[in-house]
Amino acid sequence: MRLLSSIRWRLQAWHGLILVSVLVGFGVMAWHAARKAQLQRIDAELEQRLMGLFRPELPRRNPPEPHGVPPSGPPGERPGERRGEPRPAPGPPPGGGPRMGPRDPEELRSRLREAAGRAEFVASDAATSFYFVAWDKDGSALARSPNGPTDVPRPGGEGRTSDRDRPGVRPGPPFSFQARSRGEQRELSVDLPEGPRVVVGRSIAEDLAAMRRLAYGFAAAGAGVLALGLVGGWWLATRAIRPVQDISSTALRIAAGDLSQRINTAGTENELGQLADVLNATFARLEASFAQQAQFTQDASHELRTPLAVILSQAQTVLARERPAAEYREALEACLRAAERMRRLTESLLDLARLDSGDEPMQRAPFDLARVARESLELLRPLAGERSVELRAELPATPCRGDSERIGQVVTNLLKNAIDFNRPGGEVRVAVRKTAVEVVLSVADTGGGIRAEDLPHVFERFYRADPSRTGGDSRTGLGLAICKAIVDAHSGSLEVESQPGAGSTFTLRLPCE
Amino acid sequence: MRLLVVEDEADLRSSLLKALREEGYAVDGAADGEDGLYKAECSDYDAIVLDVMLPGIDGWEILRRLRAAKKTPVLMLTARGAVRDRVRGLDSGADDYLVKPFDLAELLARLRALVRRSSSVAQARIEIGDVVVDLVGRTVSRGGVTVSLTAREYSLVEFLALRSGAVISRSMLYEHLFDENDDTLSNLLDVHVSNIRKKLGRDFITTRRGHGYCIEAP
Repeated sequence: MRLLSSIRWRLQAWHGLILVSVLVGFGVMAWHAARKAQLQRIDAELEQRLMGLFRPELPRRNPPEPHGVPPSGPPGERPGERRGEPRPAPGPPPGGGPRMGPRDPEELRSRLREAAGRAEFVASDAATSFYFVAWDKDGSALARSPNGPTDVPRPGGEGRTSDRDRPGVRPGPPFSFQARSRGEQRELSVDLPEGPRVVVGRSIAEDLAAMRRLAYGFAAAGAGVLALGLVGGWWLATRAIRPVQDISSTALRIAAGDLSQRINTAGTENELGQLADVLNATFARLEASFAQQAQFTQDASHELRTPLAVILSQAQTVLARERPAAEYREALEACLRAAERMRRLTESLLDLARLDSGDEPMQRAPFDLARVARESLELLRPLAGERSVELRAELPATPCRGDSERIGQVVTNLLKNAIDFNRPGGEVRVAVRKTAVEVVLSVADTGGGIRAEDLPHVFERFYRADPSRTGGDSRTGLGLAICKAIVDAHSGSLEVESQPGAGSTFTLRLPCE
Repeated sequence: MRLLVVEDEADLRSSLLKALREEGYAVDGAADGEDGLYKAECSDYDAIVLDVMLPGIDGWEILRRLRAAKKTPVLMLTARGAVRDRVRGLDSGADDYLVKPFDLAELLARLRALVRRSSSVAQARIEIGDVVVDLVGRTVSRGGVTVSLTAREYSLVEFLALRSGAVISRSMLYEHLFDENDDTLSNLLDVHVSNIRKKLGRDFITTRRGHGYCIEAP
C-alpha cells in the first residue's frame, strides 16, 4: 500500500508542478501584456495632452491642416524608447521644398509661462489631471504648472537638443518623445525645436492600483484553477490506481490464507484487466494445487490410520491377559502385516515426493526396453503361475533412452496389476515396438476391465476403482500414480483403455531422441 | 449382550471379536457391507460397531437403511477424523463415533455406555435388593461380598438387571447372550439360571412359566 500511495503522490506532485508552471507563466505573460497596453494608453493620452498644450502654435507650422490627435506608436514598441512619428506638417516635404524654420523662441517661452497660469493647471485634481514642466535650452526653469510635483527632474538627452539647434541642419523628427515612469507618475518629455524641453506627466496611482488588483485577480483565479486541477488530478489518480488497489488487496487476502479470493475484473478491459486475469488464473491454479495437496495429505493419513488401528487393537487385545504362545504369535503376525503395509505406503509416499520435487533427475542412458520388460516378466512369473494367468510376450529389441530402473518399476507395476486384476486362466500380453518418433510398450489383460466412470481417475493418487480390493491387500493406491509420475519425468505418456468385462490395455510411450 | 462388528480389515476384525468376546459379549462379525446389513437387519443386536469404509455397501448406507427399521445403537469407526466427518456420522443417526486408530479400552467403554443408554440406565451400578451389579468392573456383589460368576452367568444377570421389572423370553435371551457360532443346547440356559440362584438367592431371578425370566425392579 505504501508503494501505491507513493505512486499516487508522485502523480499528484508532477501534475501540480506542471499546473503551477503553466498558470504562473500564463498569468505573468497576461499581466505584462495588460500592463503594457495600459501604459501605451497613458502615453498616448499624455502625447495628446502635450500636443494640445502647443496647439495654438500649430496653425503656424501648417496653416491649412489643423493638427489632430497624434496617433499612438506602433504596437510592440517599448514605451520608454518610443520616438514620435514624423508629423505630416513639420516633416520636410519630398523634393527638398522650403523648410519651416524655428518659431520665435521668445514667443514660445511666454506662451509656456502663460499656460502655467491656466486654470486647468492650477486648480485641478492632482490625482487625475496632468501637469507640465518646461526648461529652457540652458537648463533653467522656464515654466511649471502649479499642480505638478515640485521635484520633476530635467530629463537627459542634451546631444540631440544641441543637434537640433543648428540652423539649416535637418534635425530629424521635430518631436522626439521620451516616456518614463517616475514613482507614481508617468511622464513624457519632448525637446521642442525652438530649444525648450517640456515634460508632461500625470499620476498613474489609480492605474497602478488597477494593475495590482488585476494581479491579485490573476493570482486568485490561478489558485482556484490550481485547486480544481489538483482535486481533479487526485480523482483521476485514484480512479487509475483503484484496479491496482483491488489487485493488491485481493493478493493480501490470498496471502492471508483465503485462496478462494479473486480479483473483480468487471469493467476493467485495459492493461490492468489483463493483469488481473493473469493473476486470477494463477490464483486458481494455486488453489487447485493446495486443495490437491490437502486431499493427498488427508488420504495419506487415512491410509496410515488403518494399519495403525490393527497394530493397536491386536496388541492391546493380546496383552489384556495371559495367553497361549500361539495367540501371541497370531497377534504378532497381524502386527507384522500391518507394519509391512505401512512400510510399503511410506516408501510409496517418499517415492512420490521424490518424483514430485524433481530432486532425483532421471538418467538418460540408452537401454533396451525389451530387456527391461523380460526382466519384469521373469520377476512376476511365479505370481502369474499362482493365479493361473498365462504371460505372452512379443519383445523385439527396442533401444531407447531413459532411466531403465525406473521404467522397469513402471513395467513391473503394470504387469502386476494385469495379473492381479485378471481372471483365473486369463492371459497378459506384453508387446514393445518402435516407431519413428517413439517406443511403445503395451500391457493388455483379460480381466474385468475398468468402469468408464473410473477410467479418467485411475492415475490419481489413492484412487481405487474397487474399494473391496483394499482389505488386507498389498495395494497402496499409489502404484499407477507413481508410474504416471515416472513416465511424465521422461516426457512420455501413459494411457489406458478398457472394455468392462473384456480387459484393459495400458500403453506406455517414450519419445525417441 | 450381543454385538455386531462390521469391519473389512481382517486383522482388525479378528482382534475386536476376540477382545469383545473376552469382555463377555456375544459377538458376530461381518467383513463387508452386504453381510453386515443382512445381519444387522435380521438380528436384534444390543450395539453395532460399524466401519465407514466398506467394500460393497459403505457404512453410511448401512446406517441409513438400518435406521429405517431399527434403533440399534451404532458406533461408527472411521479413519477420517475431520470434524465434518464426525458431524456427518452423528447426524446420520450414529450414536457414537470413534476415529482409527483407537484405544481398545475406549472402544469398550463407549460400547458399555451405548448399551446402558439404550436400556435407559444412566449409572454404571445397578442395585437390586442387597445385590449390586457393577457394569464397569463386570462384577456382582451380594451384601458387600463379591460373588464369583462365570462370564455367561454375569452376562445373563447384566441383561436381566438392565431390564429389571420386564419379563424376558427365553428366545430373546438366546438371541442376546449367544453369538452365531454358539451351538449351546437350550437347557444350558436353565443351568445358568439355577447356578445364579444358588449364588445370589432363590428369589433373585423369578420364572414366569410360558413367558420367561424376570428380575424384579428394586
